[in-house]
Amino acid sequence: MTGALLTIITDNWWDIRDLSNLSGAIRDLVSDAGGPGWLVYVVAGLLGAAGIVTFVGVTAIINIWIERRVVGRMQSRLGPNRPGPVGLLQPLADAIKLMQKEVLQPKLADALVFTAAPIAFTVPGIAVLAVVPWGRNMTLASLDAGIVFIFAMSSLAALAVFIGGYGSNNKYALFGSMRVIAMLVTYEIPIVMSLLGIAMFAGTMNLDGIVRFQEDHWLFLIMLQPLAFVIYFMSSSAELNRTPADLAEAESEIAGGYHVEYSGMKFGLYYAAELINCVTVSAIIATLFLGGWWAYKLDEIVPGWMIYIGKVYAVYFLFIWTRGTLPRFRIDQLLAFAWKWMTPMALVNVLMVAAEVLIWEETGWSAGVLLPIYVVLNNALALALIVAWVRVFAPRFERFPDRPRFYSTIDVPSLPAVAPVQPGTQSQ
Amino acid sequence: MIDDAGVVVAFWVIAVSTVVCALMVAAVRNLVHAVLFLALTFVGVAGIYIVLAADFVALVQVLIYAGAVGVLMTFAIMLTPAADRRNSETIFQAPAAVLAGLVLAIVTFVAYDTEWRISGRDAFPATAASLGEAFLKPYVVPFEVVSVLLMTAMIGAIVLTREEGDDV
Amino acid sequence: MPIKSEPVEVNIGPQHPSTHGVFRMVARIDGERVTDVKMVVGYLHRSMEKLAEERTYTQNIPFTDRMDYLAAMTGNLGYCLSVEKLAGIDVPERAQYLRTMFSELQRVASHCMATGAFINDCGAWQTPVMYTFRDREKVLDLFEMTCGARITTNYMRIGGVAFDIPDEFLPALDWLVNDDLPARFEELENLIVGNEIILMRSRDVGVVTPEMAINASLSGPMLRSAGIAWDIRKADPYCVYDRMNFEIPVGYNGDSYDRMVIRIEEMKQSLRIIRQCMAELPDGPHKVDVPLALRPPAGEAYSRVESPKGELGFYVVSDGGPAPYRWHVRAPSLINLSVLPQMTIGQSIADAIVTLGSIDINVGEVDR
Repeated sequence: MTGALLTIITDNWWDIRDLSNLSGAIRDLVSDAGGPGWLVYVVAGLLGAAGIVTFVGVTAIINIWIERRVVGRMQSRLGPNRPGPVGLLQPLADAIKLMQKEVLQPKLADALVFTAAPIAFTVPGIAVLAVVPWGRNMTLASLDAGIVFIFAMSSLAALAVFIGGYGSNNKYALFGSMRVIAMLVTYEIPIVMSLLGIAMFAGTMNLDGIVRFQEDHWLFLIMLQPLAFVIYFMSSSAELNRTPADLAEAESEIAGGYHVEYSGMKFGLYYAAELINCVTVSAIIATLFLGGWWAYKLDEIVPGWMIYIGKVYAVYFLFIWTRGTLPRFRIDQLLAFAWKWMTPMALVNVLMVAAEVLIWEETGWSAGVLLPIYVVLNNALALALIVAWVRVFAPRFERFPDRPRFYSTIDVPSLPAVAPVQPGTQSQ
Repeated sequence: MIDDAGVVVAFWVIAVSTVVCALMVAAVRNLVHAVLFLALTFVGVAGIYIVLAADFVALVQVLIYAGAVGVLMTFAIMLTPAADRRNSETIFQAPAAVLAGLVLAIVTFVAYDTEWRISGRDAFPATAASLGEAFLKPYVVPFEVVSVLLMTAMIGAIVLTREEGDDV
Repeated sequence: MPIKSEPVEVNIGPQHPSTHGVFRMVARIDGERVTDVKMVVGYLHRSMEKLAEERTYTQNIPFTDRMDYLAAMTGNLGYCLSVEKLAGIDVPERAQYLRTMFSELQRVASHCMATGAFINDCGAWQTPVMYTFRDREKVLDLFEMTCGARITTNYMRIGGVAFDIPDEFLPALDWLVNDDLPARFEELENLIVGNEIILMRSRDVGVVTPEMAINASLSGPMLRSAGIAWDIRKADPYCVYDRMNFEIPVGYNGDSYDRMVIRIEEMKQSLRIIRQCMAELPDGPHKVDVPLALRPPAGEAYSRVESPKGELGFYVVSDGGPAPYRWHVRAPSLINLSVLPQMTIGQSIADAIVTLGSIDINVGEVDR
């Protein structure tokens, strides 16, 4: 009975568990009305794009509130709580304020670059959301090279940050831009390497395919690839400019870095784009490591896209958490960390995955036997490597004790006696 | 596939904007602007690849050319001592225009003269997989040679930028 | 691998989030490395030392609030001590204890601020500063309870303190120093002392050698971090510090990390002193009557106190009139700041900010 009921609602457009039904219904409407084939295609694309842009807009607004409330909680204060219920209207107030503010532009700034940069910074983060699967059948563009698309977009975002800092004609901004490039060059490698393991296990770079792999084998890839997750999380927080790696804006050092000269809505765009990029990276992590919309049996009851958004926000919470708790690295320490730890670890991870996939394919043993072994093996390896690195290579400060010594009496040298000066007699 | 109106529209939109961006690269005076237009041109070319259903090549185009090469060129401009970052007047302008026109004419001629064979396929197969197969099976030796070449170039660049008498 | 690059001059301050006020540091930077630092002070100069020559001795006390506005109590105390020395005024026992108590409370408040701001300069996103501000607020609440003001307290008077403590003060103080603050300091230590990133950022950063410290006449945590055991409270005790049982923490390395840890340890020692003061607090008057237009005999006096920043000295010369003939303040912030170029040159720009934060300057005191 329930089964029959489920089949009835599943294929209809009002079923919220699969929003592709809705867009499919509209597509059918267009083609039934005699619209040409390409129009159906365009309508489908526009529908998906509209959905994603709506999500992004709402997310950017909500995330301002979430981030400030959560960090406020961590910092033992309240966070925004005046406008609207529990401060929910605060982002709106911020947006109104930002729009009303004068958009200042330095006289010697490169006007075209200065204006183009915030826009160019916003686009890639949104574009990545087009390739992630939001649910079963809910991918706007199911690209075969989805992972490469992610890399391509993140390198474009770095270019946008760079030209923004360059175009501001400000030394702090230029510092920020230079740091962005140094970090891009450094962190692109661990990011690519860590996601390589995922692609090798799944046998595809299509994000749909990766989710399907996790569904087929009844596990989240974070279990198979814990090391890759750690590396990707750290590197992407460097790419996102969030503490402990927010060197490009480094409030306390270079006073905002690449966006120091921006004001008004241009700054607002930067601000929103940073939040959007953070959600985008969370979405990538949720897709690649946490199973996307699939969650064991849960996705049969709860709509897949809701599970997915829940996972995205869980990862986003991790980002907020690190931001609220950790101090910042110095640039050389951060780059050294990437080159000396993350890149070798990612290489080890890739080698490990290559060996495991080879064994899997050559022996032909069933995944049910091999994958649990791999899970145990890879977790043990990740743990061992991290512990070994901390023990062996982490900076040690043992030359001097951490704690000060204590004196209850001190030597006081006797001072020579000096004749007192009489007022008015002192010569200058 | 190519007769589909949507693809034709997409092709023309992308092609026109790419050509306009390419023209702007030559036309604008500011070198940084030129590089940015170049990056846009690369993105446009990537769009044409996508229209041709070669998505992997398109993405690599964006990743390497628009991202990496764009940054590299901006750096090259910033590290050049000529401080005003502007295209100056040179005597090579007229010859360069003639040369560019010649190249354009030849390419146009070749494009019209060649008898393009339309393959019967509807769409390309998964390009990433087939490219990977191609790189690691029939073309493994050229592929490896190119990697060695790139490695040599990188080491050479490091050696060249070192100051004399450095130990590290 | 050095690559040829062009040095740039960067103005850090006076409008910069990490200069703790309106201090300006013109840094010449080669890549990320600081090759030269020029300090520009004076943006907050209010010529207090000159103004003081036109006001009576009592009227000058509020100036001392506004010098180191994060440690107004010790400023008040140092000035009152110097005038009392000049005029030969004996301060009642109870006032001595109250002065000790409040200057130690002020030390806790000031070090809370310094530690939080220092970690903020290390790049933590406001979290530590919020934690330490929470603790500082409680101390300021006690100040408000006693004298009505939180920052510019104007509490010490020539001959004692302005007001006796209210009845509810001691229970609140007891809760603060016995229950609340020890747990908070432990929490703070667990969070930041030994934190890998803090260690990486502050170890061997902004090193002060003992020679440098003595030659530049540094004082306070700056001097003690260099490994020199020196504290005015021990070396030249004032108020009732000679009856108190406490220790002074001394570092080994002279780096920013040592200074931070020393400040945390000093806060704990301050709690020890406050507990002893509470136990021994005698009854009696809280001040002696001193004429408002006090005319000390002609002469000079110098008195010094250990302010949270270091040796805070007040030099007062009287010509017998109602106003000081000359008033000079030895401001520890300014003198501690004088080694900044030596500490920062050769470091990266990020380290220079950390170093500046670890000095714990207060621009109100630097410029006066």
